[in-house]
Amino acid sequence: VNATHVPSSRWRTFALARWCTSLVGLVGAIVSAAAPSAMAEPYPLLRLIAPAAPGGGWDQTARAMQQALQVSRLVETSSVENVPGAAGTIGLARFVGAERGNDDVMMVSGLIMLAAVVTNRSEVTLADVTPIARLTGEYEVIVVPARSPYRTLADLLAAFRRSPEAVSWGGGSAGGTDQILAGLVAEAAGVNPRRVNYIAYSGGGESMSAILGGQVTAGINGLAEFAPHIEAGTVRALGVSSATRVAGLNVPTLREQGVNIELENWRSLVAPPGLDAVARARLEATVEQMVRSDAWRDTLARFRWNDRYLAGAPFAAFVGAEQARVRAILSRLGTAEPASPSSVGAYPRLVLAALLLTVVTVGVGIWRGERVLAERPGAGWVGVATSGLGMLAAWALLERAGFLLAAGVLFWLTARAFDPRHPLRDAALSVGVSLGTYLLFARVLQLPLPAAPLLGVR
Amino acid sequence: VETLRSLGDGFAAALTVSHLAWALAGVTLGTLVGVLPGIGPAMTVAILLPITFNLDPTSAFIMFGGIYYGAMYGGSTTSILINTPGETGSIMTAIDGHMMARQGRASAALATAAIGSFVAGTIATVALTFLAPLLAAVSLTLGPAEYFALAVVAFSTVSALLGDSLARGALSLCFGLTLGLVGIDPLTGAARFSFGIPQLLDGIDVMVLVIGLFAVGETAFQAWVHGRDREDRVEFSGHAGMSRDDWRRSWAAWLRGTAIGFPLGVVPCGGSALPTFVSYAVEQRLSRRPHEFGHGAIEGVAGPEAANNAAAAGVLVPLLTLGLPSSATAAVLLTAFQQYGLQPGPLLFSARPDLVWTMIASLYIGNLMLLVLNLPLAPLWATVMLVPRSLLFGGILVVATVSAYTLNRSMLDVALLYGVGALGGAMRVWHVPLVPAVLGLVLGPMAEQQFRRALAISGGDVTVFVTRPVCAVLLGAAALVLVAPTLLRSRTRVAAQVS
Repeated sequence: VNATHVPSSRWRTFALARWCTSLVGLVGAIVSAAAPSAMAEPYPLLRLIAPAAPGGGWDQTARAMQQALQVSRLVETSSVENVPGAAGTIGLARFVGAERGNDDVMMVSGLIMLAAVVTNRSEVTLADVTPIARLTGEYEVIVVPARSPYRTLADLLAAFRRSPEAVSWGGGSAGGTDQILAGLVAEAAGVNPRRVNYIAYSGGGESMSAILGGQVTAGINGLAEFAPHIEAGTVRALGVSSATRVAGLNVPTLREQGVNIELENWRSLVAPPGLDAVARARLEATVEQMVRSDAWRDTLARFRWNDRYLAGAPFAAFVGAEQARVRAILSRLGTAEPASPSSVGAYPRLVLAALLLTVVTVGVGIWRGERVLAERPGAGWVGVATSGLGMLAAWALLERAGFLLAAGVLFWLTARAFDPRHPLRDAALSVGVSLGTYLLFARVLQLPLPAAPLLGVR
Repeated sequence: VETLRSLGDGFAAALTVSHLAWALAGVTLGTLVGVLPGIGPAMTVAILLPITFNLDPTSAFIMFGGIYYGAMYGGSTTSILINTPGETGSIMTAIDGHMMARQGRASAALATAAIGSFVAGTIATVALTFLAPLLAAVSLTLGPAEYFALAVVAFSTVSALLGDSLARGALSLCFGLTLGLVGIDPLTGAARFSFGIPQLLDGIDVMVLVIGLFAVGETAFQAWVHGRDREDRVEFSGHAGMSRDDWRRSWAAWLRGTAIGFPLGVVPCGGSALPTFVSYAVEQRLSRRPHEFGHGAIEGVAGPEAANNAAAAGVLVPLLTLGLPSSATAAVLLTAFQQYGLQPGPLLFSARPDLVWTMIASLYIGNLMLLVLNLPLAPLWATVMLVPRSLLFGGILVVATVSAYTLNRSMLDVALLYGVGALGGAMRVWHVPLVPAVLGLVLGPMAEQQFRRALAISGGDVTVFVTRPVCAVLLGAAALVLVAPTLLRSRTRVAAQVS
């Protein structure tokens, strides 16, 4: 009996062992599928948010990433959404508020956002998001027009020390990297940073044309944008903000010339708050693979960006250090101070006074019955109220209940405001109009519209 | 001659079947996306950029050219049909274009816009081909003082647009100027009149104001005046396109619009709205029927539509010769160039002449394709006017809402849109003109910034405005524009009395 039982029991043990092995294998397969690895499934759609309008550095970074990710097949598709406003702080606030816990989205960020958080006194800061990695860096360069009498940085700084206000420095938007460098240079030259006559321009194009045209004494800008002009000799570069000389560019560093400053305009990626370790690791792995791809190497070369890939805890520590440095220099520059009513200036007061004057003049005229609408007034108060109700409903519903419902209600009520005879036809059309508009904007053009958040459809 | 040979090579490269197909795809997509309000040319090019990722550089450049011109083209369609400008360059088109559409002349308005854009685009592209380096050099000599003077010239030319009541025109203008105060002061970085609302830090978007005043305001006004009482159908006028009279009134406006738009596109200031303001004002001043403006004068469509397309070509001058992006659209194009390893800058023409000339050649081709594509579409689009008023206004409000929301993904913009719309309706009721408010919002901040920038550079010395020759001439011209009509009028009166 025993003899017969042994093989059977052995067989059972064997079967159990095989079952266990396959279970372990299955679990292993599940775990390895979920865990980040080189084998990770590509994202069906990875969304990238550029907290700026199309055309700027953050938008360029997002679109270059979109291309690199798609070309190297790390994602199936990738979309770029622009959320412009206030040097990225609007995008940051929205990212923290609306994307919490979403694991398929990243936002471009960087040094300028750190500065803007300080300058705009933003309540949401970079401490509220999940850091992913630093990607690129761009050095700053100080240039003068080709016709300028200043041959070296020493010449320029000598004139600057003699009469700080007489030297105008043209650069990008107030409180940005360019102005930070101007402040740091002033300090190094022993001049109070508040005496820097900094002329802020919106966008690289505007400030570059001011410098090329000799409208300002000196210019500060990203090296990549100016490199072609330095090579062509249309501007003279006096110093670059790198630690050592930049390869292929015959321009001395600030350090070499006794100005002990190093500054790089870095750009990075962040993920929404509230991600678990698995989701975060998957994003980090995808970014790491992208950074190593040939497509990204090409991109770095084309845009003249320095590879500054840094991930994990070192990146978080780096952000902390930069935050402290930026906060310190901005407070010494005085850009981080709240505007007092007295500093608003003469022009706004003039405009407000003129507005008051014209309102009173026209108001008195109307009160005296001068030229009010000749047509039968008030013919359609019901119409105005109905379409007004439609707008009120659309405003209340759009982000809460979604675009489909909001647009449908708006269309239906407005149509009824003009012609109440076809409620059913108008209702059918309102479904068609809202659905068609949604499909066109959100699906075809990939512009974000909340479809129906209540139903869980984003 | 050198230029002609290079351009010939460019045409040779562009004129293959596959390249023509890409050009056609570019203009079609550009027009289709450009038609949608709230998606300006910059966004259109950015959205369509990924399509070109897998193309060879030549095909991609040909497609960019098509998308760029197509996006500029599309903006006028919604202006004319539903009083909702597709982008800032089509604001002025809405005024008379939509009135024409309401009078049953939508296809004439669309046709004059299309042909005007073609004429302006072609002349401006010729100017770009032959004069680019010269114009770029000239534009660099202009500083903040000159830009301020330019804003003053614009203010004085458009003063004619204030309407027949000075007080009401001034009220509207001051409203626009006040809105222009909101947001970060670009020179100091300090927030002004933003009331602690982060969304207001970048100021009020001119598109929100325009769509609110025109589209939503019109809806509110129509609801109030006519409400549910009657349905007036649009009767199409006899001509499917432009009549002989329309042609006669349009051609000079196209040429003047081109002459105004191209140089203002070259100088990096004011964006695409400024040339159209000036063109419209010039047309009204020169017209023998100034009272028709605002009630469907075809010159009011022909001039600004030519001006915005000429300006679009003008923007390419600093971009291609100096690598300077002077508008958001140019900045996106710059990114596109860089994706193909092209370093924009002073050496672009000498480094990659093949690509640059192919692109310029494709601009000519794209322009022609746009005309061929859009002219037959004009009568088709015009049938939109046959939609019953209830459904048309419903659709307008939905489109206006989507546009305002997609600008910045902000509910505040939607609230502002409706608020401005209610105000716009009230302004219509009390005969307060709408256009000066838009002028104030665009020109006010420009004048203030450039004025302060000029003073900061000069160290507070106000004489810069008279010692710089170009600036002094411009300010003199502005004064002349203001005074001349009065002088002329008194002289004719004297002459009349003498006779």
